[in-house]
Amino acid sequence: MQQQTPPQQQRVAASANPDISVIGDFRGLYRSYGSHNFDAVFNEAEFSFQSVVDPYARADFFYSVVEDAATGEFSSEIEEGYLTTLSLPAHLQLKAGRFKQQLGRVNPIHAHALPFVDMPDAYVNFFGEEGLKGDGVSLIWLLPNHTFFQELTVEATNVGENPSFERSAKNNFLYLAHLKNFWDISDNATLELGLTGMSGENLAKKITNIGAVDLTYKWKPVRYNTYKSVTFQNELYYSQATLDSSTVNAIGFYSLLNIQVAKRWFLAGRFDYSNNPYSEKFLQESGSLTLGWYATEFQKIELEGKYTTMNEALPENSNEKEFALAYLRWIFLIGSHGAHQY
Amino acid sequence: MKSKIILTIITVIVSAKISLAGTIHVVTTTQDTKSIAELIGGNKIDVFAIATGYQNPHFVDPKPSYIIKLSNADLYVTLGLDLEAGWSPSLLTSSKNKKIQKGSDGYVDASVGVSLQQVPSSINRAEGDIHIYGNPHYWLDPLNGKTIARNICNGLEKISSENKDFFEANLKIFYAQVDMKMKTWNAAMTSFKGAKVIAYHNEWCYFESRFGFKIVDFMEPKPGIPPTPSQLVKIIKEVQENNIKVIITSPYFTASSSDVVSKQTGAKTLVLATSVGAFESIKNYYDLFDYNIKLLTAGLK
Repeated sequence: MQQQTPPQQQRVAASANPDISVIGDFRGLYRSYGSHNFDAVFNEAEFSFQSVVDPYARADFFYSVVEDAATGEFSSEIEEGYLTTLSLPAHLQLKAGRFKQQLGRVNPIHAHALPFVDMPDAYVNFFGEEGLKGDGVSLIWLLPNHTFFQELTVEATNVGENPSFERSAKNNFLYLAHLKNFWDISDNATLELGLTGMSGENLAKKITNIGAVDLTYKWKPVRYNTYKSVTFQNELYYSQATLDSSTVNAIGFYSLLNIQVAKRWFLAGRFDYSNNPYSEKFLQESGSLTLGWYATEFQKIELEGKYTTMNEALPENSNEKEFALAYLRWIFLIGSHGAHQY
Repeated sequence: MKSKIILTIITVIVSAKISLAGTIHVVTTTQDTKSIAELIGGNKIDVFAIATGYQNPHFVDPKPSYIIKLSNADLYVTLGLDLEAGWSPSLLTSSKNKKIQKGSDGYVDASVGVSLQQVPSSINRAEGDIHIYGNPHYWLDPLNGKTIARNICNGLEKISSENKDFFEANLKIFYAQVDMKMKTWNAAMTSFKGAKVIAYHNEWCYFESRFGFKIVDFMEPKPGIPPTPSQLVKIIKEVQENNIKVIITSPYFTASSSDVVSKQTGAKTLVLATSVGAFESIKNYYDLFDYNIKLLTAGLK
């Protein structure tokens, strides 16, 4: 018997072009210190191009143009550009190129998709505003565990400059391993535990090892998942940096509670605690509250207030040890942008 | 005696494993395609559906736990168009299962061959949540269910050609059942041809055109935009002027806006089922229409 095929019909939007999108990130800023208290800056335009390459792989490119708030000048870079295989056996996947590394919950996500405007203090102090990313390969293995989800990622990269790690002039790559564990507690609630270990060269040309733990609880009623949700997300970094004549053991963490109070309204509170990877005596603590209004999937406005205390005066904060910051962020997207991870 | 019991247990386990080894593992994005797949595949397949019946299929969270099912699937059935665009592609990529990637034999787009409605001539997001290929809620016309079944049957035959006759026989039964049921559903709706209703979201056009009632307006001012006070005022006026008896909505929308209109006008809010499993009594694809036709005809009387 011949297999029957339903009649084909013409459909619009058939195209060999990749999915293309542009995301604008416009910000207003208030700072309580110094003489220049207010800023308005077109923080970033992100251009993305995403598509399947052939039956064996897909490619994702993110090109970022960023404004320097102090000078008003723009600089640009390939934020990410990588190939992902689609047909490796044994539930393996290989990623090659420049990519954000598989560290915790914040690092792999682009800033515009996060529920707060500024990055957590510990994240900035250990990995910088741009986070941990590098040029290299990432091998992902979905473990054959049928009870709960487990995925192991191992990465070797020529790391981008960040506070903890430097690009090595020798053969020291950054090596990273991440184990993601995910459980469905009920139809409406999930728990994720991530364990990360990484090792690479630091600014003293010696080795820094960092261990990280992330723990996220999400509650989202299946039936009304567009109306209400709660996310309780925590990340902790423990760094051991070997320097010329000493070893610095530093920690940093944040704790985030993000509550969707109505279909379009989100309220996020975050507590930050952080040393500096090269000083365990340095201590920075802050609390912030962000109110977000999500007009559609393509536009949102967020207002964040943040109060910070630190035990050392820093020139970038006009040597103030206690200060307040307020951000207003307007994110807008045109085109077709891929979904972010759960 | 003891050794006989052990031998029996081992035999049962081994035969169960052999039987499972021959089972085709199917993952569908929704409960409707799961139901149709089960009717075609019978005992040759086991099916897992990602979205529940009372969930908005546009906004399913791509939980990693679904990846476990996808990683071991032999066949993946998507409703296609851009209905699951926000979650299906990322799950497929993460599944690391080449058998079910788009273009593989184990990938079934259930929409192939469906005559689409509301295909936009241009894409303008100022019009709200517009679907670029046309309205994707096509499974709510039972005759489109036959096309879905044909596509699933084709997919099953590609990966399990030895069971082709079995699948084709079940497909014929499904066609006959839908044709027989259509007579009952059409008969029930005959008195309500042209009856005017309000809908919450623009997801009923296939159901509407098949059964001949008329949606005159939507609670959402534009698709995906929550009802505004001015839209509610407009709807209340339309309900009163046209003597509209019914507002149809879906399980995953809150009732607060439709309740306002109901209180002001006396029109009934009916929560119709958009999928199998939306309510306890809807066990399969036929039940979906039995439930909706019964509720709608009672409301329109």
